[in-house]
Amino acid sequence: MIKNCFLGLLLLMGINAIAQQKPVVKVSGEVARPLTLYPENLRQMKRTTVSLKDRDGNDHAYTGVPVQEILEQAGVTTGKTLRGENLSKYLLVRCADGYEVLFSLAELDSSFTDRVVILADESGGQPLPAGKGPFRLVVPGEKKPARSSFQVTDMIIRFAKD
Amino acid sequence: MSRKAILSGLLLMMVIMTAQMPASRVPVPVTLSWPDYFGNRVFLPAGNPVTEDGIALGRRLFYEKALSSTDQMNCATCHQQAKAFTDGKRFSAGADGVLQPRNTMSLANLLWVRQLFWDGRAASLEEQAVTPLTAAHEMGQSLEVAAAKLQRQRRYPALFRRAFGSDSITGDRIVKALAQFERTLISANSRYDQYLQGKYQPSVAESNGITLFYANTDTARGIRGAGCAHCHGGPKTYSDLFHNNGLDSLPADAGRQLITGQAYDKGRFRVATLRNIALTAPYMHDGRFPDLESVIDHYSEHVAHSETLSPFLQQPLRLTGREKKDLLAFLHMLTDSTFITDPRFSNPFNNN
Ligand code: HEC
Ligand code: HEC
Repeated sequence: MIKNCFLGLLLLMGINAIAQQKPVVKVSGEVARPLTLYPENLRQMKRTTVSLKDRDGNDHAYTGVPVQEILEQAGVTTGKTLRGENLSKYLLVRCADGYEVLFSLAELDSSFTDRVVILADESGGQPLPAGKGPFRLVVPGEKKPARSSFQVTDMIIRFAKD
Repeated sequence: MSRKAILSGLLLMMVIMTAQMPASRVPVPVTLSWPDYFGNRVFLPAGNPVTEDGIALGRRLFYEKALSSTDQMNCATCHQQAKAFTDGKRFSAGADGVLQPRNTMSLANLLWVRQLFWDGRAASLEEQAVTPLTAAHEMGQSLEVAAAKLQRQRRYPALFRRAFGSDSITGDRIVKALAQFERTLISANSRYDQYLQGKYQPSVAESNGITLFYANTDTARGIRGAGCAHCHGGPKTYSDLFHNNGLDSLPADAGRQLITGQAYDKGRFRVATLRNIALTAPYMHDGRFPDLESVIDHYSEHVAHSETLSPFLQQPLRLTGREKKDLLAFLHMLTDSTFITDPRFSNPFNNN
């Protein structure tokens, strides 16, 4: 037990020494240019505001970067190039807690739909609250907010292969 | 083609096969099976297919004491089959006598686990096995020393040849064989499974417990639920998620944050499987709860708030005494007595 306490102490000291990382979203997979997006990068990109009915039943405004914009920067097949076999590509969004949701690329593309899905980092002029932010996917117009997932860490593009 | 030609062709093939037999016997692939309701989101690396000989070797290595620096310990010292591959201790001692900083995890249905350990730091069973083999406070021996010790034993070179095609014993092959064995540890014959397969009629308490486990409380519609499935998932009672389940407001062990360095991961740990949970006390990453009653009390009334507490645990459950008993009855349904007595998972040295 004494040994264990000692170990616990070591563990505690280790915790104080954790190098605090900046939050980040990585874009990878079937991309021409993998991206590593920090908060300041998102603030410099083309931004827009959309409205989402949250679990509380009320509409909230979220601001951030359209997912299509991010995909274009990464050189993913969007717009005119989203045809043929590229229509079998998907975007997998992964969150810090391991939660994952999926979209076909056509669901996110302005040549297919008017709905604008964004990677939000602000709501009502404020950063997103702990637990939801710093980056939240906001998918307007769905009956459940289950794909509007919290704490996004990865956006992965792949071909559906079977 | 004439029949004669086919026959002589067959004969020729047989001659060739027999001639090659002793040198390169091809390992027999094994197809693992599980109930449909587990789903097929399994992780089977292409570089390490499961074979009969690989699994048999892995089982032997799991129980091989030469894999520890003291020749006194094996994986099963901490992962005992009768306790669903745990050891009943809050913290297990390593070969050097020092206690582990976290509670020993049970081993079941690892095929579906993508990020191993309480903090998810290992990406495959192969990678995972390196830690207990080499860590000073576990088995405490380098892979090179382990391989050299096995190479000197009479039986092992032949067993490695059968599993991997040549006599050479390496750390890589040791962890591959261990991983193959661990992938066969599938627990899918509990009373809950029998119920899902229509072969068992649950008691009233069990049946209420199942409902509570899956449902979320909805006061407006008069629904009572404990919301456990939100994290512990469907019939596997496992999902590949990390959450802070409210053990402490100031966690002594930062868990997932130690791996990612992100503030939002503080106090997050991997959701544990609830399969065989009645056999794997004490509970949580630090083994703080001695029994399932205390676990249920925790979720019902002692969830500690913090910045990283899961959004699914913000409202206190306040289960009634009856509801607690029902939930407990469900957790007991997850015990799989065939899993803990299955001879395929037992110590092969006992029968020699
Ligand atoms: C000294 C006791 C001890 C020994 C010996 C030991 N383990 Fe473990 N095992 C643990 C502990 C403690 C954990 C959890 C550690 C953590 O999360 O940091 C664990 C976790 C695991 C996990 C992760 C399970 C999951 O769901 O993520 C696997 C797999 C595993 N051990 C396999 C093995 C194998 C294979 C061996 C033998 C090579 C072995 N262990 C030897 C104590 C032990
Ligand atoms: C927010 C997600 C979440 C919810 C909801 C949840 N759990 Fe857990 N559970 C976890 C996590 C994460 C762990 C591991 C935590 C740790 O050890 O730090 C865990 C651990 C456990 C353990 C201990 C496992 C072990 O091997 O030590 C039991 C038992 C358990 N939960 C039962 C339940 C029950 C019953 C409910 C419903 C009342 C429930 N959980 C609801 C996330 C959750």
